Amino acid sequence: MYRKFLKPILYVVILTILQFTFVPLISVDGIIPNLPLITIIYYTLVYGQLFGTFFGFTAGLIFDLASGGLLGASMFTFTISAFLCGYFSNENKIEQNTSTFIFAGIVFIGAVINCFIYSAVSTRIQELGFFFLFLNTGLLPAVYTVIFCVPVLILKPGSNL
Amino acid sequence: MRNFVSKFFYDFKEYIALIVLSIFSLYLLTGNEKPQIKKIKTFALGNFAFLNSAVSSLKDFFIDDSEIERLKKENARLILEVNLLRKYGLENEELRNMLSFRDTSSFKLLPASVISKMVSKVQGIYILNKGYSDGVRFGMPAITDKGLVGIVSDVSENFCSIRTIENSNLSIAVTIQKNNVEGIMSWDGRQLVIKDIPTTYDVEEGDRIETSDFSTLFPPAIPVGIIGKKQSNVLGLLHNLTVKPFVDIKSIKNLFIVKIQPSKQIIELQEKFHKRK
Repeated sequence: MYRKFLKPILYVVILTILQFTFVPLISVDGIIPNLPLITIIYYTLVYGQLFGTFFGFTAGLIFDLASGGLLGASMFTFTISAFLCGYFSNENKIEQNTSTFIFAGIVFIGAVINCFIYSAVSTRIQELGFFFLFLNTGLLPAVYTVIFCVPVLILKPGSNL
Repeated sequence: MRNFVSKFFYDFKEYIALIVLSIFSLYLLTGNEKPQIKKIKTFALGNFAFLNSAVSSLKDFFIDDSEIERLKKENARLILEVNLLRKYGLENEELRNMLSFRDTSSFKLLPASVISKMVSKVQGIYILNKGYSDGVRFGMPAITDKGLVGIVSDVSENFCSIRTIENSNLSIAVTIQKNNVEGIMSWDGRQLVIKDIPTTYDVEEGDRIETSDFSTLFPPAIPVGIIGKKQSNVLGLLHNLTVKPFVDIKSIKNLFIVKIQPSKQIIELQEKFHKRK
């Protein structure tokens, strides 16, 4: 369990640093992909819902501490996203779920949930409006995140693409 | 009974984990201002910012921008002076008869670089490469040669984080320079807005906005932007003013921290006032 946890955490630390240094360079009108989330969803699909929930929580802690933002916001949203994406986890379909465009679909769902809840808990939703938050902080970053999971699908050994 | 409890935990372990972890996260989320959590955040900020700055410096490896930085610093200092002079010019006519020399405190500027950005539509937080050891303190304003960028929200030994004006959790007391109309400016996720300005005030598109004398967060007369659009509300009694900031927040790389802190005496007086209320 310990070793199983270590490698994904290392990936999350690296991706979190990239998230705050290089990813802002490719932001489109303030919309950026969420790289650590791709890792969280990938390992949730591989190791299951319970693992994903704990992993999401730990990754959220790292993300919050690195961002200098609200401590607890990403912990909460990554935990929820990983838990919900965990419903797609199936021991018999790991390859299918992580090597085909099903993975992109699951990442999309996870990213919408993550980005939207994050904005809802960290800002004043009543002032910004539900539709605005859903579109600008949920849907569009999710689409951008999905684009970044395509290289994962292509480069992954045994990919069906 | 024991079997039942262990079976319950086994069957619902995912849900139990979710509930426990979510409650813990929300507990932390609500306690962000607690000193213990602030300590943890400051410690982590220092360590992660160090890693971020190492990665970030790779980008600047081949660029020697010390001269540009010096000129930008000079430019920022001058723009603050010009803005103050413009303000004094407008006040001059009205105060001509009672003019007395005022202390024109010159701002001390500390150049800093952005080493990481948390870019989001609603939460603008940047981490800078200057911290407590450089004299940075909580609440100091961050500016560029064009105008206001944000405010220092956390400080570690060598790094600090700033909340930019494009952060929906930051509201700033501003004034329209031409006629001293006061208002509160905030980021609504799309643009900077000053809400509920009476339509009877003479406000026009293109009027300059600066920080207010009444601001407890910022020193007065820091340029912020110009009025972009006026929108009346349903009854037509109040305006919502859209502000075009002078600074392109998203593209900032180098900026300055103004080494000035809000007056403790003013804060104490305000606290006393609120307690009496």
